[in-house]
Amino acid sequence: MFDLDTLIVLIPALPLAATLVTAALGKWLLKEYSHVPVLAATGLAFVLSLLLLGQVQSAAGPGAHELREATASVAPAPQTIGYEHVVNLWTWAGISDAYAGDQVHLPPGVTVPHPLDLKIDIALRADPLTSIMLATVMFIATLVVIYASGYMHGDPGYWRFFTYVALFVFSMAMLVSSSNFLLLYVFWEAVGVCSYFLIGFWYQKPEAAAAGMKAFLVNRVGDFCFALGVFSLWIFYGTLNFHDTVAADGTLLMPGVLGQTRLAVGLSEGFVGGGIGLAIALLLFAGACGKSAQFPLHVWLPDAMEGPTPVSALIHAATMVTAGVYMVVRCTPLYFAAPEAQYVVAAIGCFTALFAGLIALTQTDLKRVLAYSTVSQLGYMFLGLGVGTLTGITAGMFHLFTHAFFKGLLFLGAGSVMHAMGGVLDMRRIGGLRRLMPITHVTFWCGALALAGVVPFAGFWSKDAIFAALSDRMHGEPAGGPTEWFYPALYYAGLFTALLTAFYTFRALLLTFYGEERIPPEAGHHAHESPRVMWMPLAVLSLFAIGVGAWFEYTHGFADFLALTPSLAYAPVAATGGHHAFHMDVAAISTLIALSGVGAAAYFYLGDRRAIDALTRALKPAYWLSSGKFFIDQIYGVIILWPIRALSALSAWFDQRAVDGLVNQVGRAPLGLGSILRSLQNGMVQFYALVMVLGLLVLLVGTLWR
Amino acid sequence: MSTDTLTFLLPEVILVLVASLVYVVGAFVQKPALWTWVAVATIVAAGAALFAMPADLQPGATVARDGLAHYISLLALGAGLLLVLLSSRSADPRLAPEYVGSLMLTVAGTMLVGAAQDLVLIFLGLELISIPTYVLLYLGRGSSAARESAAKYFYLSILSSAVMLYGFSFVYGVGGSTSLVEVRAALTAALAEPTKFLEVGSLATVLLFAGLGFKIAAVPFHFYAPDVYQGTNYANGAVLSVLPKIAGLVALVRIVAIAMPGEESTGWRLAMVLAALTMTVGNVLALWQENLRRMLAYSSIANVGYMLIGLAVGFVTSTRPEVQGFDGIGAMLFYLVAYTVATLGAFATLTYLGAPDRQVNSLDDIAGVFKTQPLMAACLGVSMFSLTGIPPLAGFWGKFGLFFGALTIPGEPGDSSIKIWFVVLALIGALNAAISAGYYLRVIAVAYFRPAQGTPAAAGGAGSWLVAVTCALLTIGLGFAPRPLWEESLAASRQARAANSAPADEPRTALNAAHATQGD
Repeated sequence: MFDLDTLIVLIPALPLAATLVTAALGKWLLKEYSHVPVLAATGLAFVLSLLLLGQVQSAAGPGAHELREATASVAPAPQTIGYEHVVNLWTWAGISDAYAGDQVHLPPGVTVPHPLDLKIDIALRADPLTSIMLATVMFIATLVVIYASGYMHGDPGYWRFFTYVALFVFSMAMLVSSSNFLLLYVFWEAVGVCSYFLIGFWYQKPEAAAAGMKAFLVNRVGDFCFALGVFSLWIFYGTLNFHDTVAADGTLLMPGVLGQTRLAVGLSEGFVGGGIGLAIALLLFAGACGKSAQFPLHVWLPDAMEGPTPVSALIHAATMVTAGVYMVVRCTPLYFAAPEAQYVVAAIGCFTALFAGLIALTQTDLKRVLAYSTVSQLGYMFLGLGVGTLTGITAGMFHLFTHAFFKGLLFLGAGSVMHAMGGVLDMRRIGGLRRLMPITHVTFWCGALALAGVVPFAGFWSKDAIFAALSDRMHGEPAGGPTEWFYPALYYAGLFTALLTAFYTFRALLLTFYGEERIPPEAGHHAHESPRVMWMPLAVLSLFAIGVGAWFEYTHGFADFLALTPSLAYAPVAATGGHHAFHMDVAAISTLIALSGVGAAAYFYLGDRRAIDALTRALKPAYWLSSGKFFIDQIYGVIILWPIRALSALSAWFDQRAVDGLVNQVGRAPLGLGSILRSLQNGMVQFYALVMVLGLLVLLVGTLWR
Repeated sequence: MSTDTLTFLLPEVILVLVASLVYVVGAFVQKPALWTWVAVATIVAAGAALFAMPADLQPGATVARDGLAHYISLLALGAGLLLVLLSSRSADPRLAPEYVGSLMLTVAGTMLVGAAQDLVLIFLGLELISIPTYVLLYLGRGSSAARESAAKYFYLSILSSAVMLYGFSFVYGVGGSTSLVEVRAALTAALAEPTKFLEVGSLATVLLFAGLGFKIAAVPFHFYAPDVYQGTNYANGAVLSVLPKIAGLVALVRIVAIAMPGEESTGWRLAMVLAALTMTVGNVLALWQENLRRMLAYSSIANVGYMLIGLAVGFVTSTRPEVQGFDGIGAMLFYLVAYTVATLGAFATLTYLGAPDRQVNSLDDIAGVFKTQPLMAACLGVSMFSLTGIPPLAGFWGKFGLFFGALTIPGEPGDSSIKIWFVVLALIGALNAAISAGYYLRVIAVAYFRPAQGTPAAAGGAGSWLVAVTCALLTIGLGFAPRPLWEESLAASRQARAANSAPADEPRTALNAAHATQGD
């Protein structure tokens, strides 16, 4: 019905159309029906992305190889690495023979026409990675839109909310399907802008406005590095396209950064290595740290919880924050060219997971617990990517996939609680809600079990895959090498974090739904279970949080399919793969750990809570550190904000006293130039003629004097 | 001049004939709308004649049939069409025929300069722009400001024409001919054995820059522009900021950059100095303007400064085929279109917002226009963003091409000073683009955020509304799909150079004979 080209274009086009419709008509015509076009667009886009997934799978998956062999007799198809299908919508800028490009690194034996063309292609792609991301994003987005139509009901900015959401879905779809770093960057910023709009959606609240600003500014740091990385790619790779740029007659114009030509050549010659390769990989990773809230740029995500809860679920848990993970997976060959960068990715990921897990232990706001848990789980994903093996990378992506379901579920559940409690989420003021909100309660259980990594819920399988990959790598490292202690350290830190995860998740669950029933006065007298339009998405997501991990573990479908992405089918990556084996020992340990975390939470928080009070008193400094979030915000305040404020105060003083004084004396510097020039503009035609002739004379003398 | 030449000039001939007819008949028929339609029809007919021209014409040495001529002709016709629509209600209804006729003559003059390959014809074309412009400015003689601005323009224009003619005479002196093809051949031959005599060429170059610098309003020949723009109406301001600039720049390309080999080093230095001065003075002074026409005058000055960067780059790239940079002249031609569209859009919006008898003058007059005229505010915003050079609008690609060209000039072996100079020039350009954001964005800020002080008249006529919307759409379209225009502008610049150098052999002998007879 639809061919691949149409699908790739339609999937982002639908939310874009919904954005335009709600923006144009929302305020005047649609009003409380503003969600309808957005829902239609995301739902349809989800169906189309499933079709896309099916088509990519049938073209790339098992059995497709024979198909390729069969068609090869008709037209000798080039040996392709993985599967990709690129649609070039149009060439935005294209200037032939634009520059020399002396620093472009070409694989040996590859020649391209010189001088280089300046081309910026607006190209979209379909490959396993993209189709998985699209299906995930569209699925969550559809459910969140349904949920939000209930959650946001009656909000004066109803149409505005859905316009932003549709714009976000469009940008996210473009981000994961663009086949060009410039386009990736543009939509990277676009999702950031949507996030800013939505965090500050209730801009009348000063905290919301400040949180939006903070998210935007912290992301500036990462995005600036990311931009530098993109610039470096352009200098050293001569293009920003992922795919090979080929002329109409089939001649290669420029091998793409992640294109077939470079992938075929291999590690040391196909890609820029050395210091430059390392710098590129680290700059890109710094961008990922900003977007995916990794230490030290994680500080914006918890504050971003000021936004409406559906947004927290969609943007700040399931989709946008995983853009960094997506990008690093996409650029896997660049990281294989710079193995030191992989150590950094693994170390930062592991540290962030542990660090955020420690903070989450003592937070009292339900959404903040979930926010720190998101930071921590994103750390796990990066830890998987940093393992530097195919199994590690697919495990990281698998965790991204399952996390989208169960974390989206948990956030929506928290939103349901918030809805009933009149906006209060402080776990010291609410409690015992299990009878009041039975559906939310049960679905929250599913999400919590998945997050805690209890077998057989989704999170168990993906987290276990990461540990298994790490364990393989740990045992594969030569003894006595510099990495001898590195991977074991990561492994045990990861396991410890799993304990923390189980504990804080069930702490939140028990505090909220168990104990004596406490309902804050803000909730009024009609605290009740959420309407059906809100609990239906919860129910659907619960099913996925229960089953999605086991299903894909059982079929091996996820990793095998993902490995057909060109960046992962690339020989040096594929060689590290082997078949992912289920490690009974690792699984047993992590199950034990998860259960002991759950058990500890039950011991401390079920029944009377004297034990935990005693423990808190005993570990007062640690509690203080954790509940103060390790005072990172304050540290930034001291080392970054204060110096800037001091500098600006100094500048202001200098400006007011010294500069203004000087300016007032001389006659204001800019106006000085202006006034000199303006005094020439005196309206006298004779004078104008005189200056023209004088100017001519000056030019003549200047030219002929040489 | 053969009949082929006349056929080749058919579009110009159509414009001039109809314009003359309009002058005469207009004295008896008082229907302003009719004359607008006649002008539109004539321009469309001229465009059709341009495209219907048989391909096998041999236009001879006086006019060129290259891509540059075609590009400029289309640009002039397009700008002419927009100008006619824009000014449909600007002129006093009794004077409409004179207005429309003069406008058509100005367009014909611009096209003629674009095609001319002979100094005499170029001068004719430039005067065909200047003289109707005096009329245009003087048509508003009711107000003393308009009379003053017409008089200023007239006197200074005559002065600049004199300087330019002086320059032409030196070109004739070194080249021995008024034909640019022959001048080029003669200079190419003379370069083989350079003599002191060639320095006269530098003299000619300076004089040409000075004379044509008036047409394009380059500093220090720009003084008339702010006074004249302020004294007249938006329609005339739009004419002045577009047509003479197109003609002046293309004349510089035709005469100095192409026909005078050996003058490149003088050329790029002059263009560079003028570019830096013009950008800076235009932008710094525009910052201080409250009157919108005066601000747009300085904006048009500053934009010429940017385009002169392209000319400077073009001088270098034309002598050094090994330079793999942007072709500066192609970038300049692209920028010319982006600038024309955005500027006409701004003038059209402001024309529409005012009324013939109550113009929008200062920034205060457009405060809060967003509330009452959202579409016009958006069009104005698009023009301002494009002029600032914000992606993804047309103006961004214009500046991109100009700056990129300057940055890709490599140093000469053993001497990197030229590279450094061009990097400095690009930096000055980028700084100026930042300064210009100060006044362009202020217009948007005032139109969108400052509370309205009354409703605008919005009586500039459907024509100006149409032009405003068209220009905004073009600006956006060119931003998203700049490629066709890039290719056209680069091809135009390439062809103009190639066509000129090809028949170099044959006239050289004729010229040598001429020199020989002089020697006798």
